[in-house]
Amino acid sequence: MVKTRKGPVQRAARLVKLGASLAGSYLAYRVQRPFLGQERAQSRRSALRLKQAKKVRQELQGLRGPIMKLGQALSMQTHFLGSELVEELSALQMQAPPMHPTLMRAQFKSALGKYPEDVFRSFDTEAFAAASLGQVHRAVTKDGEDVAVKIQYPAMRETIESDFQALRAAGFAARVTGHLRESVIREVERGILEETDYVQEAKNIEHFRQALAPLDFVRVPTVHQALSSDRVLTMSRVSGLPLQAFVKTGPDQQLRDKLGAELSRLFFFQLYRVGALHADPHPGNYLFNHDGTISLVDFGCVKHLKPEVVRCYSQFWSREWTSDAKLYREIVRVVFGAKMSPEAPHVRRCLTELKRFYDQYHPLDKTPSELDLGNPKFMDALTELAKVLMKNKFLSPEFVFLSRTESGMCNLLHILKARVATTQIARQWMPPL
Amino acid sequence: MSILILMKKGATNRPGRKKPAADGTHGGKREQNKERTRQRILRAALQLFKEKGLGRTTTKEISKKSGIAEGTLFNYFKTKEDLALYFFQKETEDLIKWFRAEARLQKAPLPEKLFAIIHRQLEYIEPYEDFIGAVFYRSLQPTSTLSPLSFESQELRLKYLRFIREILAEAEEKKEIPRLGGLGAYAVGLFYLGIVTHWLHDGSRGKGKTLALLDHSLNFATKILNTGGWEW
Repeated sequence: MVKTRKGPVQRAARLVKLGASLAGSYLAYRVQRPFLGQERAQSRRSALRLKQAKKVRQELQGLRGPIMKLGQALSMQTHFLGSELVEELSALQMQAPPMHPTLMRAQFKSALGKYPEDVFRSFDTEAFAAASLGQVHRAVTKDGEDVAVKIQYPAMRETIESDFQALRAAGFAARVTGHLRESVIREVERGILEETDYVQEAKNIEHFRQALAPLDFVRVPTVHQALSSDRVLTMSRVSGLPLQAFVKTGPDQQLRDKLGAELSRLFFFQLYRVGALHADPHPGNYLFNHDGTISLVDFGCVKHLKPEVVRCYSQFWSREWTSDAKLYREIVRVVFGAKMSPEAPHVRRCLTELKRFYDQYHPLDKTPSELDLGNPKFMDALTELAKVLMKNKFLSPEFVFLSRTESGMCNLLHILKARVATTQIARQWMPPL
Repeated sequence: MSILILMKKGATNRPGRKKPAADGTHGGKREQNKERTRQRILRAALQLFKEKGLGRTTTKEISKKSGIAEGTLFNYFKTKEDLALYFFQKETEDLIKWFRAEARLQKAPLPEKLFAIIHRQLEYIEPYEDFIGAVFYRSLQPTSTLSPLSFESQELRLKYLRFIREILAEAEEKKEIPRLGGLGAYAVGLFYLGIVTHWLHDGSRGKGKTLALLDHSLNFATKILNTGGWEW
């Protein structure tokens, strides 16, 4: 079957093999990801897909480090993958233990100079969650406070750097992806490398805790600086269940709608008031409580936004560009670059598709009860949109993490089956033009 | 006098020298005293190596720091290599004693056990990286006491190999890996040397690259053994 494939799919298949042979290569995945949707389209039979999904999960569970991250990122991409695979992969998010206790202790000591039992009153050697590029352990400080200790797998930064170097040297980025610009790859690399620095993440947590204080439904942990370093991060423990587990407890529609609205408010508040985004929206990073609060964890990937990007992006929601030629030209300049003609057919096509998608799923004038983001067609439409945009080179580096966060939010709203008037919430915070 | 001159002298004197006891805890009071002296000299020498480097440390300084007369030093260690050999004997004794006392590790899967053992060895030599680096390089010379072919180091090597073979035999018993026979322990020994070489060159934060390499290779090797890659 593989032999008959042509073009990008064939290349993707080869890349998958490459990724497997590089065992530990992170970028191979990142690059092949855009093709996974087509891979999926090839296999129609659900039973077969389920079997494949199980196999993928089992394979991933046996691996560590970057591949682990790969699993998490994959599970977030509902719109590129079958739901069977997503279900299987979500098992990875909170369970797989990538480091055995001996390695975990060795890494802890390498980062903090002491073993965990020397600095904590008690320390659980079994990880309770997989985190970005590492794992999380429960512990109690000498003062008796419950904390979560995130420990990074050794040499992540070096591994990722050499992945990118190898790919650059081989010219893979250009050859394999074609439509991915070097600036986009650079932006992805910047984001991923930043995630390996827990000192930066500690700063992000402090920043967001203060910035999000006006939203009374959001909980952000506090950092224990003395028990943290660049590869170990000790935080107060926050309550809540990851979305899949929360949904299984059977929350009623009212609570679903409330949480859905809160997720949207959280997104737009960051966009318009904070100017920076918590940009790793995989479901394990949002913990849901029955009292209607949401705990936000894992601030490894934060994207600071340029005002012109925010202004331009707002247009997708407000759609004022349809009657304002100046706004339209600005969007084209920000997304496609100053040299691009606003009248180029592929530019037109992108914006028409965008408008159609937002009109249908984020309409301007409907009440929440008229909307249902649990609609199975919603994620398919998002996938279609992503494909069209990708094909037509709609990929500014500034938008990589912004659109990732938006599709992550949509994914959460979808799984939550929430009815939310997203556009009205967007407009509530949107500054006047 | 430089320690390097000591080495040359030691090389000519070798046939007449006394072999240090492999295990200082046994024997009479006389032997116990000797063992204590050996440890005192080693501690002083290692401290000086750490501060000044291997080449710059003189016998005089070791004598002064350990409080043992210069002439007496020769009765214990003829050469720096003898000192190194003694260091590794202590290291291996410490390793075996430590491992036997770690109750949780006895039940751990094989890759974790081997990881723990090699990591413990690296931790032991970590404060003396310069010294180990110099010794490691020298041990590749065929005339060295530390060379894998030397008679002087046989006993130490066998002790280590037996220890590893026991651990592998337990794993074979539990069907964690297929039967490897005597080769398994040699493979682990060689693997350890490879890891030390990597460790000496590892400039990553906290030598994280070595930790990752150790973890990946042990898991990989176990997987290969179990998927029949061994049957050739």
